[in-house]
Amino acid sequence: MDARVEESTKVDVRNLSFYYGGSKALKNISLPLKDRKVTAFIGPSGCGKSTLLRVLNRIYELYPNQRAEGEVILDGENILKSSVDTNLLRSRVGMVFQKPTPFPMTIFDNIAFGIKLYEKMARSELHGRIEDALQRAALWNEVKDKLRESGLSLSGGQQQRLCIARTVATKPEVILLDEPCSALDPISTAKIEELIDDLSNEYTIAIVTHNMQQASRTSDYTAFMYLGELIEYGPTEKIFTTPENKRTEQYITGRFG
Amino acid sequence: MNLSLGLYRRRKIWNGLLLSLSVFAAGFGLAWLGFILFTLLQEGINGFSGKLFTEMTPPPGSDGGLANAIVGSALMSALAVVAGTPLGILAGTYLAEYGRYSRGAFIVRFVNDILLSAPSIVTGLFIYEIFVLRMGHFSGFAGAASLTVIVIPVVVRTTENMLLLVPNGLREAAAALGAPRSAVIRAVTWRAARAGIVTGVLFAISRIAGETAPLLFTALNNQFWSTDLNQPMASLPAVIFQFAMSPYEDWHHLAWAGALLVTATVLSLSIVARVLESSRRSQ
Repeated sequence: MDARVEESTKVDVRNLSFYYGGSKALKNISLPLKDRKVTAFIGPSGCGKSTLLRVLNRIYELYPNQRAEGEVILDGENILKSSVDTNLLRSRVGMVFQKPTPFPMTIFDNIAFGIKLYEKMARSELHGRIEDALQRAALWNEVKDKLRESGLSLSGGQQQRLCIARTVATKPEVILLDEPCSALDPISTAKIEELIDDLSNEYTIAIVTHNMQQASRTSDYTAFMYLGELIEYGPTEKIFTTPENKRTEQYITGRFG
Repeated sequence: MNLSLGLYRRRKIWNGLLLSLSVFAAGFGLAWLGFILFTLLQEGINGFSGKLFTEMTPPPGSDGGLANAIVGSALMSALAVVAGTPLGILAGTYLAEYGRYSRGAFIVRFVNDILLSAPSIVTGLFIYEIFVLRMGHFSGFAGAASLTVIVIPVVVRTTENMLLLVPNGLREAAAALGAPRSAVIRAVTWRAARAGIVTGVLFAISRIAGETAPLLFTALNNQFWSTDLNQPMASLPAVIFQFAMSPYEDWHHLAWAGALLVTATVLSLSIVARVLESSRRSQ
């Protein structure tokens, strides 16, 4: 074990179970997301890693018959309590999805939309915030002359970086990334990985990925899940070099999953 | 390789047979449509002149136009669309966004479907009963009200369908920024479905443009120029009905010209709607 054990916990998942109707998709998951660190979730399809992410900002509540049990403590408060305002929660816990989802509006408005939801500011300040967000997402140079064009006119990789910029612009505390690179080519993927590295100085990040190299490159901690259970959690180096569980080892070495 | 040429040959014959049947059916339908449009054009052109738009419907045997009927139709249709569109869009939005999975929405959707396919004469009788009888006279308002009842279910249905085509990923992405549902709808889903919703409104307009039955008991007709919605009002379909049934030759000409006018309006609305629709698809 190294010095990272001292790090504080931003989000603490405790005994979390999740149901889609009658079927149990998460079984008693407990693990921390360390403050300003990247935690990767790996595991074969259907293991519940995306489901877990969707509990952390309660986005699952958009649909009927989905239900979470247990606790998710964000800065000391259980966010699963019904008294928690989900809109405010989501402004603190941002999310980027697998498929790029630019809104049908200009590049500028795509980013302004999220900012204007909770902040009032002068046009010039808004402009600064948008430029800053696009810079952070390494997209500024490519779009600075076409901020008034539709977000849909960008390439897939650019669209995904726009979505990341949109999330970063609202200054959340936690960023959830649900397979953000699965629809992208290697160059876009490399750019986004760099971005994750950069963002982890300020944000607590959780990333779901199918790509083992990506998990090992980008994360500080890794959680391996299988059939709705958390099999192993620990520092990424340890999970990838000396995993304790046999299934973790088999999955990481590509022998199943 | 062991190809069964017999099987292949049989499939080819079947294919040829089905193909010729489909082509025949399509040609049969198109021929009648062409026949109708051609007759309409031929007969309608006869009665077409500048007077159509400037003069009132004449008594039999004298010269005239359809100006009062054109204006009456335009006024009542406009009022119906202005009243029905916001209601229809809001109800469609409720069905697709707020109530999608609820029992309430299921019932509203069911009732709306009934309304959508209800014979329009029933709509006319309904407005006659609750509106005309109580006011004691026929009026343009009553006509507009019955057209509104026809507009609403069309707009509700298309709005809901177009909103359902907006991928949930967009809703999730907007909600994930902390946007309340009202902001998601206003800024994202309505915008994404805009072309489709406008198309629905255009279809609703072309649907009411030719409605006769609901106007007969409500707006009745008016031989004279009137823009007073509180009085009986002329409309193209009602005039066509009255003139076409008459024994007078010059009334027949006017009826044909009116029919051509209504058809041309509906046709151009459909074309605009199609163009919008295809621009939405290619987006």
